[in-house]
Amino acid sequence: MNVANPFADPLRFDRRVPECTVVIFGANGDLTKRKLMPALYRLAYERRLPASFAILGNSRTPLSDDAFRDKMHEAVKRFLEDSPFDEDIWTSFARNLYFTAGDLNDPELFSKIGAKLGELCRPNVLYYLSTQPSYYGTVVDGLGAAGIGESRPGGWRRIVIEKPFGHDLESARELDTRIHKVFPEEEVYRIDHYLGKEAVQNILAFRFGNGIFEPLWNRRYVNHVQITASESIGVEGRGAYYQEAGALRDMIQNHLLQVMATVAMEPSAVFEPDAVRDERAKLLRSIKIMKPEEVPLHAVAGQYRGFRQEPGVDAASQTDTFTAATFYVDNWRWAGVPFYVRSGKRMPKRTTDIAIQFNTAPHALFASQDGGPPTRPNLLILRIQPEEGISLRFMSKQPGSGMRLRPVSMDFNYGSSFGERSPSAYETLLVDAMVGDATLYTRQDMVEASWRAVQPVLDDWASRRFDFPNYEPGSWGPAEADAMLARNGHRWRNS
Amino acid sequence: MSVAVQPEKILRELRELWDELGRAEETPGGVLRACAMTLLVAAEEQGEAEQVRKTLGVLMHDHPSRAIVLRSQEGSGVEARVFAECWMPFGRHQQICAEGIEITAGGAELSEVVHVLLPLMVPDLPVVLWCRGGRAFTDPAIEALFPLADKIIFDSAAASDAKAALQLLRSLRARGRRVADLTWTRLTGWREVLSQLFDDGVLDPDAVASVRIVHGGSGASTCALYLTKWIEQGLPGARVMVESASDEPGIRAITLLGGSAEVSIRRTGPSCVEARAGGRSYRTPLPPVTEEALMREELSILGPDSVFDRVLA
Ligand SMILES: NC(=O)c1ccc[n+]([C@@H]2O[C@H](COP(=O)([O-])OP(=O)(O)OC[C@H]3O[C@@H](n4cnc5c(N)ncnc54)[C@H](OP(=O)(O)O)[C@@H]3O)[C@@H](O)[C@H]2O)c1
Repeated sequence: MNVANPFADPLRFDRRVPECTVVIFGANGDLTKRKLMPALYRLAYERRLPASFAILGNSRTPLSDDAFRDKMHEAVKRFLEDSPFDEDIWTSFARNLYFTAGDLNDPELFSKIGAKLGELCRPNVLYYLSTQPSYYGTVVDGLGAAGIGESRPGGWRRIVIEKPFGHDLESARELDTRIHKVFPEEEVYRIDHYLGKEAVQNILAFRFGNGIFEPLWNRRYVNHVQITASESIGVEGRGAYYQEAGALRDMIQNHLLQVMATVAMEPSAVFEPDAVRDERAKLLRSIKIMKPEEVPLHAVAGQYRGFRQEPGVDAASQTDTFTAATFYVDNWRWAGVPFYVRSGKRMPKRTTDIAIQFNTAPHALFASQDGGPPTRPNLLILRIQPEEGISLRFMSKQPGSGMRLRPVSMDFNYGSSFGERSPSAYETLLVDAMVGDATLYTRQDMVEASWRAVQPVLDDWASRRFDFPNYEPGSWGPAEADAMLARNGHRWRNS
Repeated sequence: MSVAVQPEKILRELRELWDELGRAEETPGGVLRACAMTLLVAAEEQGEAEQVRKTLGVLMHDHPSRAIVLRSQEGSGVEARVFAECWMPFGRHQQICAEGIEITAGGAELSEVVHVLLPLMVPDLPVVLWCRGGRAFTDPAIEALFPLADKIIFDSAAASDAKAALQLLRSLRARGRRVADLTWTRLTGWREVLSQLFDDGVLDPDAVASVRIVHGGSGASTCALYLTKWIEQGLPGARVMVESASDEPGIRAITLLGGSAEVSIRRTGPSCVEARAGGRSYRTPLPPVTEEALMREELSILGPDSVFDRVLA
């Protein structure tokens, strides 16, 4: 029934999801328990799901519908963050949880799923791939062969894919070709949960909702940009998985290059999914591709002492648990401005932020009093986690006689200035996929552009033997990462 | 901390308060000052100071503002004191504070307070006036505050004469002022559940022939009036009837009939409603709304609210 709702009140009612079934592959896995199910329950709690919303889980472990409900009940209670758990609402929500066991390698499974979907009879279906990436192709083929991948009038079929999208440019393309045999690009939602974070969305609001920053947002005023995503923990039992990935693949190729694109992209003419994604994609395509001889100068690999002793990790592992890289953007706005991007495990603390360092004042009017430089560059810090917010560092006169200057910081704390609970990235992204808003999802051209940007580094590193480990746990990474910036007269902000 | 009411003095007191907070030992990370608006609160006379403070304390987290609480107290002269509402966000090292001013005045002096208020408003930010309780509908001293505000929030449920209360809201709206009524805000949950039935295609709006609203409490409540009008506007072809039940006040049930279909939403517990359509039923949370939640919703709408305007008109 496609009649306009006479009772819509978008100012006061949240966006709501249309009637659909979400099919989760890997429904017995970690991601489902920790993130997906709590996010879906929370959406139900906030009345954002229709009554007839259904979830169909699949994994190998044989489970009855009730056993699956019990499992999910336990998981949601345990992993639901900053929200209350209500048994009544759960009971209502759980009535629509179903389970079909089966091995993804078994083509029969997809016919069973098709039959179950027919029984559930919801017009729309969202397939969520929460299994090991090696199964992505198998699932898509299976859905295609069973004839349940194609949208039809009055009912869409969409697919959500978790990173990684391939492990290099070539495999990303292969996967894409396979997916597109069944799903057209507009029905493919590649999730990058960084883009779902409120703080990342706030970068756009900050840049394009204010008139005073954008005029400074270019090579004339910006000296360089630092993007850091550090974790204090190690691989925490996921050594075998991580060993195949490494920091460059696991963090930089996807999350941090997306963040960089958000910071550096041009404003789109309208705030619509494809307009915003076009600009992000354009920026990613403008990243200068390193020549082989530039790689050692612009990319640093690190591995913390002790990684090779982690369970599941090869004793001679060459995996990067730390990566720092310098990217340049070949366009008028950013020509010559280095973007330093780094990510690592076992660093001093967990933090993700972007620091935009402006040029120093062109003329030193005030003499240095404390032996430091007479003026210091303004620094704008966009903090993504753990404390979302924005700080601006500027110089101010120290109270007292004489003209002593000192840097002070002006802080805006997003979460606490607006204490409302922010939806988790998965809540935002799930609703977006179900209402068909792909603004915060990555597109194949973006995936390929970012693989292209890191491919020379991957190629170079594959042909090399590193002398690992090269940094101590609890440090900010190997000395070479400092040297990479020092060559340009820059330093990491390690705070 | 009490000061005779001179705006400069109050502002000085506020500055001193900030200095004090910045020096306090328990805030080694310093305090962060946050302000998104001036929130003027015209409170009733006795006994509610505590409740207002509590509400403001919660509101400040989402809508940090300079709160100016006006209370009339017979027999007292005009007095003012400043206060800060601080909180340490979970897991952070820096305290956030918002500031407040409490002005108490005898009934007669209240009308003069307007002149004190002007310099106390935070420049360049919106001013919201919250008229708590029923006095706002009759007291000219509070009426004198209306021109100061970009938005005025009432609660017609507290008015002794509901019709006159609506009349006041309409006339303010007709003069171009933004107004809100917490009695309307209280309906958001019910309205959302009803609206969702149409989102889901459970009901075809053209097929609905009649709607029955059951509400508790007695008298012609503005709550039932609002809901009736809103439904009539959405379903111009349907007959809307209101029945009053004698239990707790507020909406108890809404039933829609059309052809052979019957859809109903019924309160089944203090925090839950049940929607039934055909053979299916589901429960959805609809907890009692606190004053804080109502105000939070209204403070996040500072621009035009066309749906409420239509219902009020
Ligand atoms: N965990 C996270 O926080 C996180 C964060 C970002 C992205 N991701 C991505 O999300 C995906 C899932 O991660 P995860 O941590 O949830 O993995 P996981 O805990 O290992 O779960 C894998 C799931 O896949 C199922 N499975 C494996 N082989 C199968 C087969 N042959 N047939 C049917 N089902 C099979 C497993 O079922 P059984 O248990 O029944 O065998 C299990 O439910 C991965 O692509 C990962 O990269 C995860």
